[in-house]
Amino acid sequence: MLRTMNRKISLILLALAAFYLVMTYNLPAYTYTEIDADMVPKGLGWLLVFLSIVLFFIKDSETEEQRERRNIPKKEIITLLAVTGMILLYIFLLEILGFVAVTALFVFFCSWFLGYKKFITNAIVSIVFPVVLYMLFTQFLRIELPQGILPF
Amino acid sequence: MGSIEGIMTGFQTAFSLEGIMFVMIGVLVGTFIGMLPGLGPISAIAVMIPITFGMDPSTGLIMMAGVYYGAVFGGSTSSILLNAPGISGTVATSFDGYPMAQQGKAGKALAIAAIASFTGGTVSVVLLMIMAPALASVAISFGPPAYFGLMLLGLTAIASLSEGSTTKALISAVVGFMAVTIGIDPQTGTQRFTFGNANLFEGIDFLVIALGLFAIAEVGKLIIARHDDSLSDKRNVGSLKITKEELKDMRGPMSRQSFVGFFLGVLPGAGATIASFIGYIMEKKIAKKPEEFGKGSVKGLTAPETANNAATSGAFVPLLSLGIPGSGTTAVLLGAFLVLGVQPGPLLMVERPEIFWGIIASMYLGNIVLLVLNLPLIPYISKILNIPRPLLIALVIMFSMIGVYAISFSTFDLYMLVLFGVLGFLMRLFAFPAPPFILAFILGGMLEQSFRQSLSISNGNFMIFLESPISLTLIILSVLSFIFPLLKLRKKKA
Repeated sequence: MLRTMNRKISLILLALAAFYLVMTYNLPAYTYTEIDADMVPKGLGWLLVFLSIVLFFIKDSETEEQRERRNIPKKEIITLLAVTGMILLYIFLLEILGFVAVTALFVFFCSWFLGYKKFITNAIVSIVFPVVLYMLFTQFLRIELPQGILPF
Repeated sequence: MGSIEGIMTGFQTAFSLEGIMFVMIGVLVGTFIGMLPGLGPISAIAVMIPITFGMDPSTGLIMMAGVYYGAVFGGSTSSILLNAPGISGTVATSFDGYPMAQQGKAGKALAIAAIASFTGGTVSVVLLMIMAPALASVAISFGPPAYFGLMLLGLTAIASLSEGSTTKALISAVVGFMAVTIGIDPQTGTQRFTFGNANLFEGIDFLVIALGLFAIAEVGKLIIARHDDSLSDKRNVGSLKITKEELKDMRGPMSRQSFVGFFLGVLPGAGATIASFIGYIMEKKIAKKPEEFGKGSVKGLTAPETANNAATSGAFVPLLSLGIPGSGTTAVLLGAFLVLGVQPGPLLMVERPEIFWGIIASMYLGNIVLLVLNLPLIPYISKILNIPRPLLIALVIMFSMIGVYAISFSTFDLYMLVLFGVLGFLMRLFAFPAPPFILAFILGGMLEQSFRQSLSISNGNFMIFLESPISLTLIILSVLSFIFPLLKLRKKKA
């Protein structure tokens, strides 16, 4: 039954639609209007139910090229997950260590991890870019960025 | 007073040495700020307001027009080079601009964008001069049902933005529409799908979705492909050369979209975004080779760039003649007017003709300066693509992060950015197109509001959409433009 990719995705979408619909039907009613906030979401939810059923039954018209796109070597999947991890760590530390420090570390290690071997260029870029951007945003544009552990 | 006399005065003000100098400063600063992550014309104008303190009002406003144009152009560069649209008006630019840049033609793509912007801007300024007073009254007669029809027409783009499966494109759009229903409903105040999380009360910011689905998802692809050197023709990245044939391709979209973009820009709330999308679809529909769209088509890049700039001038119509800002950007601009002691509205043209026409004349000037200043800069701007891949990837991630953080100041939005990045990446893998998602997200909110406002007016009677001639026409057009591509598809298969 779940032979094709379309069918698997269709079930995921059905679950999403069901979840969305349950929340929609539980929205509190607003007494002073006939046209309440749940009107459009109800339509959207049922439309998604309908479309996922269509997706379940239509023939999989995927081309070879599209299937090929999904064929990612295991090594690259690990790389992708690692970069995602670094981004999450970046966000987590942003307001603790401050914009300049975290960004410099992130740019340096991320590009090093992805195979950029020129250490000196990398070090210069990863320090100059965040500092310039930080100055530009805080001094010229008056948009505050997290200062963190650095004194300026 | 004769308009001719006013126009002459206006041109004298704008084309003085002082006027030219301040337009140049405005365009340069605008372009620069527009290129920065997350900052569009709104922030550019807001930043420049304090600088105009104490300036002569006409000079100050002339500079602002330059900032506005510059920022719109600056936004296109990040769409084209990095697939990172910083404002919604340049999302459609990335559809063909980014593929073109990937094929080693970044300089050319930027040059086409500059020329298309110039044409759209200039033609629409002429239209603005001729029609400003008359158009203003049409724009305010656009009621909720007509807006609903307009948004619907914009949404029919979905059928033509799909690469293969229409079902998948529709699913992508429905989920995008669902995403915009998150937050406090503006009409009833009901919290929808917020899970009680205060970060979601105002809904998800456009930038989170645009940078996530486009820029961050693209980073995923770049990481996998970081070793193969598909940017083969590195030396020519900065070449501006446009061939005769390409120029011929540009002519059609430029002449049509200058007009279409202008008229859509006049409507409050519609503006540059919807103009760029409608321009894109329209050209795709009438093109002889629609299959080239999305793969680096000259026409596909020219259309939205012309339309969004034309709409930019169109947006000045309600602002100058009625004093009503039709978009976030013109609202900030209205603020700039007030700071300088100028009250836009019906009386502006009568009482301060030198300012009214000075601004319009400075828009001509702004367009010319934009072209003259930016064309020589393109080779340097497009060198961005010569940065080694691993470093570029890290910088694009940083660029997206700072863009989102600078407007929301919350790490919650950054986590959302990652979430939408992952979603965009998965959508690519499973051949769900991202453009319908963002289109539905941008138009969905306005569509829902105008739909419900109309029904509230009519006490739930759906006939209201068919009673006004404007909305009836727009709805019929939407139905036709949705059905035609499907019929064509069926014919091809049979």
